[in-house]
Amino acid sequence: MTEGPKGLARALRMRGGASWLDLVLGAAGLGSLVLLWWVGSRTTTFVPGIGEVFSALPQFLTQEEIWPDVLATVRRVFGALAIAMVAGFLAAYVMHRGGLWGMVVERYVSIMLGIPSTIAALLALFIFKRSEVGVYFVVSIITFPFVALTLLQGLRAADRRLDEMAAAYRLPTMAHARHVAAPHLIPYTFAALRNEYAHAWKVVVLAELFAVNTGMGARFARAFDRFLLVDAMLWLIVFMVILLGTEYLLLLPAERRVLRWRGSGKEAPA
Amino acid sequence: MSAVAEETAGAGYIRVEGLSVSYDGVTPAVTDLDMEVRKGEFVAVLGPSGCGKSTLLHVMSGVMRPQAGRIEIGGHAVGGSAAADSPPIGYVFQDHRLLSWRTVGQNIAIVLQAAGVSAEEINERIDRYLEMLHIDGFRDTWPMRLSGGQRQRVSIARALALQPAVVLMDEPFSTLDEVTARLMRQQLAELWQESGHTIVFVTHSIREALFLADRIYILTKGPARVFDVAEVPIERPRRYEDPKLTELEGEIVDRVLGVWGIGGKP
Amino acid sequence: MALTERLETARVEPASRDRVRRAQAFVVASLIALGIWQLATLISDGWVPSLARIFTAFIEDATTLEVWGQIWITFRRILISFSAATAIGVVLGVAMGLSRRITAFFRPIIVMGLAVPDPVYIIVAILVLGTEESSGLIALVIALVPFVVNIVAGGVRARDEGLDEMSTVYRLGRRRYIIDVVGRQVAPALLAATRTSFAFAWKLIVLVEAMTQPEGIGAQIYYSFRLLRPDHMISLALLFILVLRLVEGLAFAPLERKLLGWMR
Repeated sequence: MTEGPKGLARALRMRGGASWLDLVLGAAGLGSLVLLWWVGSRTTTFVPGIGEVFSALPQFLTQEEIWPDVLATVRRVFGALAIAMVAGFLAAYVMHRGGLWGMVVERYVSIMLGIPSTIAALLALFIFKRSEVGVYFVVSIITFPFVALTLLQGLRAADRRLDEMAAAYRLPTMAHARHVAAPHLIPYTFAALRNEYAHAWKVVVLAELFAVNTGMGARFARAFDRFLLVDAMLWLIVFMVILLGTEYLLLLPAERRVLRWRGSGKEAPA
Repeated sequence: MSAVAEETAGAGYIRVEGLSVSYDGVTPAVTDLDMEVRKGEFVAVLGPSGCGKSTLLHVMSGVMRPQAGRIEIGGHAVGGSAAADSPPIGYVFQDHRLLSWRTVGQNIAIVLQAAGVSAEEINERIDRYLEMLHIDGFRDTWPMRLSGGQRQRVSIARALALQPAVVLMDEPFSTLDEVTARLMRQQLAELWQESGHTIVFVTHSIREALFLADRIYILTKGPARVFDVAEVPIERPRRYEDPKLTELEGEIVDRVLGVWGIGGKP
Repeated sequence: MALTERLETARVEPASRDRVRRAQAFVVASLIALGIWQLATLISDGWVPSLARIFTAFIEDATTLEVWGQIWITFRRILISFSAATAIGVVLGVAMGLSRRITAFFRPIIVMGLAVPDPVYIIVAILVLGTEESSGLIALVIALVPFVVNIVAGGVRARDEGLDEMSTVYRLGRRRYIIDVVGRQVAPALLAATRTSFAFAWKLIVLVEAMTQPEGIGAQIYYSFRLLRPDHMISLALLFILVLRLVEGLAFAPLERKLLGWMR
């Protein structure tokens, strides 16, 4: 009785007692997208057919030339995100401490929140010409302020009561940092990471579109320019599979394992 | 709608037959429960924490559907397709469930409006019932400014102002401090003596049940069945410290100790 | 001992001290930023336009009527797409927040919608709908809706479910329930969703215009870029950003106060 649908749901790591009906509905949702695609391919001249795209998929994936571009994009995402996380943490720390420098950093973060990514991309392209640095620059600049904001929230929400407890028991600074402050920040770090991971992927495509010749975004744009629409769809599929795959198979389980102590099914604040 | 309310305000009596309810389709909360409440009676439903007594109230109010069995209030089946025509039910929750963005008066008004009561009637009832619950000065106050006890009074006033066939109360005083709770019990008993509503009162406190009720349905630990029905032959007005109550309390404790197990509350 | 001392000094700091600090911070931040920029100009041997050139270009642009015409065109588009996205997103978000079934159906769609890069939406929209103005805007709306939905659905889900029960027991009815019970609880999320939607809309419109139309400020910025006029590229961008942040500040601050007043 509890096997079957419930077992499948557990295998897909769904939380909160997903039922058979939920799975069917989800599949129906996906199905409606596929239907939309099919209708599009029939009624317009440019949208390639579903069969066409998927039959070309195996050959596409085994082509050697696509993987360097995929790796290039992956490298950029992870690299720029790492920079943004570190810089974001430092910025949040300075902002939390307050004072003159806290306010200065606040100004910068606030301004950087308001930069349209296209403008950042064009600026980077202009300054750094066509180079890796430009892409890293754009992705870091765009994602860093969001990380800073989330971590600042975390620092501000620090539980005073735990701090009082630590003071009452005279915990040394290192122990305090390790056992009280850091664990408190972990959910916020994951929240920042989760949100900005997806964000970074989208910005990287934009940056590659404008600024460089390698990477998935560039290949995607080139496919469109040459009207190779099947190729363009294939790049899109590869992109989304990687993005969603890493999110659901890497990030989410890692987050859940680290947040075990909070109780099951609880994730970081959105 | 108010005509129906008037009509059934005196006529409500409750019949529960073979009720079985489960929480999520799997875990049973209530099993094969029978219960009967006469018009104007004050009946307590007594059981240990988590035994499903709240679930019983949920089904009686029509919020939940039972897996088996039926409930009738005033001759109307509860939860049937004619739910809109069935007599209104007043419900007092354990946590007040007031809208914090409406004043006390507005909280009562919104429920009466939904029941189709006319505007003047609403106005009049608000004043009347706030006075009955001794909170008449608080009509324009925000719920968050009130104490726990006062909020529960508003909750009770809201239930009574509906002039319902039946009032269902789910451990309404269990979150209050002892002194306030005692006062509320006293005033509820007095209020009931005057108004004569039919009340089903859920509690886990034997003493409270003995103080307030005519009859007590004692339930088993979950899934709940009726273990026993105790009559409370003590005259009203009752005193909370009455030694007769203590005696009856001892008797009930002896009876249920085995049934409720260590988790049961004496 | 140290704690009480710290408390003492904290209490003594007056508000005016804070304002002075803010002014100081502004000055310092500006000087540093400008300094770095000038340095970049020097290092790049004039490739990065100097502050003086940018300033001149800025004055020129700010006083040219056509520029303001372009800004207006862009602003119009922002309003259209942001309102549409917010409207659709709120309806869908409330529906999803109230019903697990609806959430189950739309969840994969929303998840995938969030994963698609914005340029892709724009390109696909052009392919399917042609090169009119509406294609880009439709792409923008589709890109914005998932964000609004998530925020609103989250707000609806976070409501007090005890009040749901109360509404059922007292037979408040669907309309009253949504407006009086859910609505008030969801107001902060609605406001957040609207702000986010507007913020994303004006950032993304630049991309849309850079990729499609000959009109609009985004297009002008792109042209300045192509024609190697970095001073104008930056000055137009600055002008646009300043105007929009001003609008954001003026429009949303009083709205926030009005809607969330009962909470204070």
